[in-house]
Amino acid sequence: MAKSVETLEKSFKTKAKPVNPAKKKNLFSWGLLAPVLFFFILMSVLPTIWMFGLAFYDYTLTSAKKAEFIGFKNFFDFLANQQLSGAVSRTFIFLICAVLLQTFLGILIGVLFWKNDKMPGRRLALTLFFSPMVVTPIATSLFWKFILDPTLGVINYFAESLGFARFDTLTDQVLAFPTLVLVDTWMWTPFMTLMTLAALGSVPKAELEAAQVDRLPLHRLITTVIWPHAKFILGLGILLRTIDAFKTMDLAYVMTGGGPGDRTELIAVSLYRFAFKSFKLGYATAVSVFLMFIAIALTSIYLYILNARKKAEE
Amino acid sequence: MAETTFKPKRKSGPIKIATIGGWLVSIFFFLPIAWIVSSAFKPKADILVSPPVFFFTPTLSNITEAISFDNTLDYFTHSVVYSFGAVTLAIFVSFLAAYSFSRYKPAGTDFLMFLLLSTRFVPAAAFVVPYFQLFNLLKLKDSYIGLIAFYTMFSIPFSVWILKGFLDGVSQRFDETGLVYGASRWHIMFKVILPQVKPGLVASFVFNILFVWNEFLFNFQLGGARTFGIPVGLFTGSTKGGAIDWAYVASIGTLYVLPLIIVIYAFQKYLLVGLTFGTVRGEV
Repeated sequence: MAKSVETLEKSFKTKAKPVNPAKKKNLFSWGLLAPVLFFFILMSVLPTIWMFGLAFYDYTLTSAKKAEFIGFKNFFDFLANQQLSGAVSRTFIFLICAVLLQTFLGILIGVLFWKNDKMPGRRLALTLFFSPMVVTPIATSLFWKFILDPTLGVINYFAESLGFARFDTLTDQVLAFPTLVLVDTWMWTPFMTLMTLAALGSVPKAELEAAQVDRLPLHRLITTVIWPHAKFILGLGILLRTIDAFKTMDLAYVMTGGGPGDRTELIAVSLYRFAFKSFKLGYATAVSVFLMFIAIALTSIYLYILNARKKAEE
Repeated sequence: MAETTFKPKRKSGPIKIATIGGWLVSIFFFLPIAWIVSSAFKPKADILVSPPVFFFTPTLSNITEAISFDNTLDYFTHSVVYSFGAVTLAIFVSFLAAYSFSRYKPAGTDFLMFLLLSTRFVPAAAFVVPYFQLFNLLKLKDSYIGLIAFYTMFSIPFSVWILKGFLDGVSQRFDETGLVYGASRWHIMFKVILPQVKPGLVASFVFNILFVWNEFLFNFQLGGARTFGIPVGLFTGSTKGGAIDWAYVASIGTLYVLPLIIVIYAFQKYLLVGLTFGTVRGEV
């Protein structure tokens, strides 16, 4: 008897329980997220887990041998591989040269356009100037291959008419790497200019005016007024560029194919070659996992700067 | 009310130099593209000749020839189908998610936003292998469904970041007022809030189309003859007979580049937000 009363009470309770508005809101908020989570899990989480798993297997697509679990062997092999560590250090040299050059030129050109916001045809000029960075690297590399061609290329024509010898830049032991850096610089200097303009635009106009009224000397204007505001966006720009330079693949792959020898072999190019030329999938994914951790570390730094900026503004 | 605007002291001399300098820099950076575009309009004999020809009678024969190849128009069709399909879908689901992140801040919002951002930073080549196998397993290779699913995920992180930024800028008062007047949540989302984040929608639409349009590696590995887009077409078509067919590269390259230039002219003020993943906003 007592039991049935209890169950009755229970059923009554559940029925009468008022709908918790916080809970309903919670359900609604997750319902809105559901489609994105679906794509995220299917097309991002799943491949990532797959990648982690594959990194522990000896798996070559072209061999008849079945995939074999080998623990951390891929990672040890990869760390011991001289060629790969060469590719990693080459990638860092590439990104340091490219980012430094782009930042320097980008700031210079940014200041040129900033002081000149009423210049005639500014929008058209900026469109022409920005166009290199929206062209896909595949097209860029083909275009430059044409321009640098040893017999047909227009650059060689000018070099010759200035009295230099014709040279095949992309297969030259010495010139191939700097050429890659220069083409990357051509592509991405506009981006650093864009970031410079944004950084300078983030300096409050009132402070600039006050500095002008006070006749602040230029170096003090830069260090005390412009830099404290501009450093965040400029920092984000440099970091974004660093990350993208680290990822450079298509450009090197099409223009030089990593050659001559391994002079322009960047880590992403090696990775692609392992996966789709020698089909060592297990080994290639071990390299991928390594690159992913670098990427996550860089993301954290990026968010750190972003938050620091938010705090500084508050 | 006297409006005070900042006007740096200007003498007419330095400004003129700056104007000329700005134009010279712009033209210098554009020269390589201009060279390719001009090559597309040269008679074939003038493209493959040394010394290079600077003055010529323009012709459309290269472009019409490149278009007449079997696959050329297919590449353009494929690119249009998968990029517009995926980006439209991505923006719709991203708007829902960004609204949730911005208004309800469910547990783990910051972490999820971090994960989404980190996908932008991983080298694409690192992920190709697992996708390649996954697509083979699910029989999605060379299918629109597979590529649209992939490019939707490709576009989601950027769209969520950009739209959340814009949604955070719309006051919660609008939502509250709507609720007080008895409007449904859907009505508030789509009729009250959505119109106010139009710039965010435009920016994420334009830039995602641009990124998907330009994407090469995944299209090359996950697609096939039925789904290859323009960058893959440009790459494979250029090396058809061993040596590179420069007339083809110049013609297809021109058809590919001109719309991009129009896009950056028309949407220049969104360029910054577009290229910084929605994390930096401002005027150029």
